[in-house]
Amino acid sequence: MIGFIKKDLAMIKSNFKLLAILIVIYTVMGLMDKMDISFILPFMCVMIMISTFSYDNYNKWDAYSISLPNGRKNSVKSKYVATILMTFIVAIITTLLSFLISYINTKSINYEQILVTMFGTVFGTLLVLSVMYPIIYKLGVEKARIGIVLLVFGTVIAGTLLLKYVDLSNVLKSLTFLEDYLIIILIILAVIMVYISYKISVKIFSKKEF
Amino acid sequence: MDIIKSYSGEIKIFGLDNKKADEEIKENVGVVLDDMFFPEILTPNDINITMQGIYKNWDSKMFNDYLKEFSILPNKQIKTFSKGMRKKLEIATALSHHPKLLIMDEPTSGLDPVARAEIIQIFQTFIEKDDCSILLSSHITADLEHIADYITFINNGEIVLSKTTNELLDKYGIVKCTEKEFKKINKKDYIKYKKSKYEYEVLVPNKKEFKAKYNISVIDKITLDDLMVLMIKGEE
Repeated sequence: MIGFIKKDLAMIKSNFKLLAILIVIYTVMGLMDKMDISFILPFMCVMIMISTFSYDNYNKWDAYSISLPNGRKNSVKSKYVATILMTFIVAIITTLLSFLISYINTKSINYEQILVTMFGTVFGTLLVLSVMYPIIYKLGVEKARIGIVLLVFGTVIAGTLLLKYVDLSNVLKSLTFLEDYLIIILIILAVIMVYISYKISVKIFSKKEF
Repeated sequence: MDIIKSYSGEIKIFGLDNKKADEEIKENVGVVLDDMFFPEILTPNDINITMQGIYKNWDSKMFNDYLKEFSILPNKQIKTFSKGMRKKLEIATALSHHPKLLIMDEPTSGLDPVARAEIIQIFQTFIEKDDCSILLSSHITADLEHIADYITFINNGEIVLSKTTNELLDKYGIVKCTEKEFKKINKKDYIKYKKSKYEYEVLVPNKKEFKAKYNISVIDKITLDDLMVLMIKGEE
């Protein structure tokens, strides 16, 4: 599997510069006390990794990858591992920078707020990954892009309708006891979500013919 | 290689079932597919690093030696390479984990004669090793005549013919004769025939026997092209 990860990272190495530039922009904006764009950084990792699917597809790598030892399983596994690894590394860098920015700006560090923001962001990123990857394996990158737009629209419309007809404040009130466990719940949910998504992707890819 | 699923039957490579021993088999097989398959933005160096993490027996030195031999620049992106260079890179990759079997789909198609000759030379060196073989699919029959020990001719998914190359090229022949002469030939003594404007072309499985039995002097040596055309287009 390591070989597949190395290949994906080699393909996106030119994007690392972009990521570095974004981190610098984030730091500068943070120091100037402007907008907080920390949530964008881990999210970018998924977006960059999705581009490797395009390269693979365009260059017919998938058929070849199957001819490599344990290719069917490892090529899927490596996409998940590489994305999660990148997301975590970027999230850790961003968190450390947030601590620094917070300290420079206010002479104190708001650990809780920064950590909750980062956990939320990583959770969001993993959610996107978990939804996107099986769709990409099923439909290919191009169609999956349309799929994700429809999905976002669908969620927004469903959410709006839900808010219109259901009074959520009662539901939220009954959920307040969960607040203390928020981070643990997010971690457990993320693990389950990624695991199910991975299993679905492996199943889809194991049936693919080229 | 499990790229296409089988619906019935079983496939054994090195005596092992291809589904149960997938990893073991693939460690010992090198593959070159019909189309280009390396992501174009990678460099040969990236391929080297990638394969180190994929094949247990990957031999970086061997790979770099091949790159030198083929004059492939290791730091250039693959998209800057010509078709012949890409094919050579693919073949170098297929060879550099010491496989016992190479499976190649049209490795020489679309290449100029010089590149083709170079690649055939690499194959020849490879099969000179004791326990190494190549399974090669090709429409360039001249390459097959040069290198193949066995030839299997498949048409519409069915095996039309499967023989050693020597047997095909030495024993088989094309008899050229008039209609009058053709009518004298026993059906058992030929495989297929084709009627052209002035003569009959008759595919015979044994030139010598045919010559001894019939008094027809024009028996041409066969090429794989002739054989393919007669087997498919000829009448029985």
